[in-house]
Amino acid sequence: MAVVLLPSLLATEAGGQQRFELEADTVAEALRSLPIANLIFDEHGDLRRLVNVYVDGVDVRDAGGLDAPLTGNETVRLVGAVAGG
Amino acid sequence: MVRILVGTRKGLFIFVAGDERRDWTLEGPHLVGWEIFHAVLDPRDGSIHAATNNPVYGATVHSSTDLGVSWTRAEELGLPEESGLTLEKTWHVEPGREGENGRLWLGGAPGVLFRSDDGGANWEAVEGLVNHETRDRWHPGAGGMCCHSIQLDPLSPEQMYVGISAAGVFRSEDGGESWTPANQGTAADFLPDPFPPVGQCVHKVLVHPQQPERLWQQNHCGVYRSDDRGERWERLEGNGLPSGFGFPLALDPRDPDTAFVVPEVGAENRVTPDGRLGVYRTRDAGASWELASNGLPEPAWVAVMREGFSFDRLDPFGVYLGTQSGSVFVSADGGESWSEAASQLPPILSVEAVAWP
Repeated sequence: MAVVLLPSLLATEAGGQQRFELEADTVAEALRSLPIANLIFDEHGDLRRLVNVYVDGVDVRDAGGLDAPLTGNETVRLVGAVAGG
Repeated sequence: MVRILVGTRKGLFIFVAGDERRDWTLEGPHLVGWEIFHAVLDPRDGSIHAATNNPVYGATVHSSTDLGVSWTRAEELGLPEESGLTLEKTWHVEPGREGENGRLWLGGAPGVLFRSDDGGANWEAVEGLVNHETRDRWHPGAGGMCCHSIQLDPLSPEQMYVGISAAGVFRSEDGGESWTPANQGTAADFLPDPFPPVGQCVHKVLVHPQQPERLWQQNHCGVYRSDDRGERWERLEGNGLPSGFGFPLALDPRDPDTAFVVPEVGAENRVTPDGRLGVYRTRDAGASWELASNGLPEPAWVAVMREGFSFDRLDPFGVYLGTQSGSVFVSADGGESWSEAASQLPPILSVEAVAWP
């Protein structure tokens, strides 16, 4: 089971649930199964530009991208980029 | 009861008072973390719908059927892959007509309109605007190419209008299937051809609810009135109006000759003129304008966004405005006098007032 952790705004949108335990073969599959998938991906399926994804603390862009396989023990953390005011 | 839905850069604030419209009580803030570009209470069923945006998580719509206690988010909302467009912002939610149960309209950027027939859960892009033959002549301004005005003719069920910044006004006579530019007589002083068919920077459009062939428009380049459903527009500057530049617009729901604007100095100095928060009112269809700011602050250098002005349908009717500096002002007597209902809010993006129990 991979664990996905959401920041507070996304957890609110997910009905208050901040931690998800998921069976998924890839990072993308795990993220697309979340109830807040349409907030982190745009309508064409692209990850929004300011959404950062870390797998066991490593930016997924530097670790195989969203298609990187999950073995089942990873912690995937979603972090919104510092933006706004 | 009267409710003011105040959309801010930091959530939705709802103020409630009796029909005398004094002593406002705050409910909220709701939707914390979201920028509320516009929120409206649907007079058909009391549901609230908000055009919500977040710099990280994008543009969506939130809806509540319990006056803000709980919220759901749109499930399907986006532009077709083949359009090559991506939804950038949601700007305005307009409830459908009485009897059109579940129907809502949503305006957004880049210059797009959506329709929902299930109360805001699923939205379908209106292809007649997405693929409009003039789209290559629309050019975004500072606020993006936002579809901010959606007006339904109350008497003709197939007739409706949209206003899109830097694109213009468009009219549909077939319920939103096809759209015709309705910009004749409105200026685009910033273009080589100052009177093009499209490309005008419309800031707000309203249809008069009792005389729907009459439209009012606040534009980047002037204030306008049309008496023939947008076929031709007449510019209404001068005669007491200190500037033609501004964003918001409000009407008297019973008198088609009365309208309110809040001018700004100009495009390069977007504050209210003469060091005061100046609401200007015409009672003669735009032939003359008078200051209607009794009780509004002076000195003041204020800005009111395009959605920051509203009116109710009570008698006497109320007028409401919210400032970028976080104050809400209410006139319960049709603009004769004003009082501050709230202050120190986050920057206000929208105000909607409605009587609802």
